[in-house]
Amino acid sequence: MNTKRRRRRWRWETFLPYLLLAPALVLLAGMVYPFGLGLYYSLTNYWLQYPNRFRFIWFDNYVNLTSEPLFARALEFTLGFTLVAVVVQVGLGLAVALFLHARVPGRKVMRALMLLPLMMPPVITALMWKIMMASTNAGILNYLLSFLGVDPVNWFGSKQGAVVSILIIDTWGNLPFVSLILLGALQALPTEPYEAARVDGASPAAMLRYITLPLLSPFILLAVTFRTMDSLRIFDVIYATTMGGPDDATTNLQIMAYQYAFQWYQMGKGMAQTIVLLVLVVILSSVLMRLWNRAAASTAQ
Amino acid sequence: MTSQAMLRQRYLQKAAIAVGAVVLLLWTVFPFVWILLTSLKHPGDIISVPPKFVFTPTFDNYAALVIGEQHGQYSSTRPDFPLFFLNSMIISIGAVALSAAAGIPAAYALARFTFPLKNALAFVFMSFRFVPFIAFVIPLYLLYQQVGLYNTHTGLILAYQLITLPFTVWMLRSFFQEIPLEIQEAAKIDGCSWLGVLTRVILPLSMPGISVTVILGFMFSWNAFNYPLMLAGRQTFPVTVGAIQFISYEQVLWGQMAAATIVAAVPQLLLSLMVQKYIVRGLTMGAVR
Repeated sequence: MNTKRRRRRWRWETFLPYLLLAPALVLLAGMVYPFGLGLYYSLTNYWLQYPNRFRFIWFDNYVNLTSEPLFARALEFTLGFTLVAVVVQVGLGLAVALFLHARVPGRKVMRALMLLPLMMPPVITALMWKIMMASTNAGILNYLLSFLGVDPVNWFGSKQGAVVSILIIDTWGNLPFVSLILLGALQALPTEPYEAARVDGASPAAMLRYITLPLLSPFILLAVTFRTMDSLRIFDVIYATTMGGPDDATTNLQIMAYQYAFQWYQMGKGMAQTIVLLVLVVILSSVLMRLWNRAAASTAQ
Repeated sequence: MTSQAMLRQRYLQKAAIAVGAVVLLLWTVFPFVWILLTSLKHPGDIISVPPKFVFTPTFDNYAALVIGEQHGQYSSTRPDFPLFFLNSMIISIGAVALSAAAGIPAAYALARFTFPLKNALAFVFMSFRFVPFIAFVIPLYLLYQQVGLYNTHTGLILAYQLITLPFTVWMLRSFFQEIPLEIQEAAKIDGCSWLGVLTRVILPLSMPGISVTVILGFMFSWNAFNYPLMLAGRQTFPVTVGAIQFISYEQVLWGQMAAATIVAAVPQLLLSLMVQKYIVRGLTMGAVR
């Protein structure tokens, strides 16, 4: 009797965590199903306007991408933009964090203010800058730059201008993310290594190079990981400002997939481009997470 | 080094810090100030050259947002901004409520039980954070049109689970793990079942964490743009998609767009001050505490 009851109880408890997870897993399954469907569509020529031609075409969509000039450019822009955005944002973010850490008056107020761009809807951020980046002399940014002797910039109208504009807007919204992570990490650093270095007469630059940066490395890698993932998939800002133009100069893989799927209704092709982006994200994120784990393990020792 | 040179160096250092602080402050705050000013301008002042810092303020743009009218002129295709605001509220609150209901037990399981597949399941939740939205939105668009979820609040709340559910599970898990195991063991000795541990120990002790998670989840839902762009229609657009409607083929209604961005930003500005200590933790899904 007693053992029987205990066994029943044991059985019930083994399933308990799964039962607790069930509602969330059901919701997840509801998302995995459409994703599987999309994966299947990427192997078809699904074109919404011609449902009768629907056919399974294996990997033709993927193979055809290699001969699609826009795909090569979108891939190049996706990777190039990510590289530049991550370098700029993590570099400047580190500089801002070090600056605020160095006893700048009003640091707390500055920290609170930096949360505001960070938590703005990215599309709203883009619209705000779109207002400021009007290409005429009525645009406040061009007006302010004129005091520095800069001629009016054609922000969204020229190829380079559009790329730079999107970089500026994305940086405004996400620089605080990097700065706040690194500022928090700086404030939690142990003081002993610095005291020892000071006794040895180390210069501030040497302390930065040999103490601060190694100790910060897991946090820097964390910021790089998150920023890389988000930059690869940047969409809202581009959609609200340039829509991928001018002349496809700011078309990344996600914008391209959007155009194929929702402007030309070629769902199969759009889905194939999406899967390529997803594979890119998975590869880069696993590499970065491995680096991050290694850095975290080495500083923990 | 002479004392005069040292004095000069210290003076230069202070000046550099002051310049840096001012630049950082302007870079962060000026866009908000300028958009606020723009939202209070008459159309003529907005396009004036050079830009005006001093002008007669007007609330016309805000009035136009609410009643859809400017100087007695109605536009037939005017964006219905109060409706968009209401939609944002409904969808965001619905999305966090559903995520909290499903996420609290899930986070409890992942934080306090050991079972096969535990880490794999936790990773699956995390991985949704990194999937390009378009991978979901293309099939969801097709599916929603078939089953009648397209352009409905329910459909959007379900789609928003992609944003809020992984976040809620990971955040709550990190908060639940902070509760000392001893308290839980003591409760078990006193005869609490797993449910008692959840309702009498975990939930009361992590109430601040749950509130933070709910607020941040609401903010992420509020920020969402790409899912509603494809899955909502004019009756269900949230403010993010609504604000972009002020750009049409004929013209951009700069003043009203500025007013719309201010209105769309206000809940975010207020809430981010409330949960400021936890924002970095939220944005990294609990990885940075």
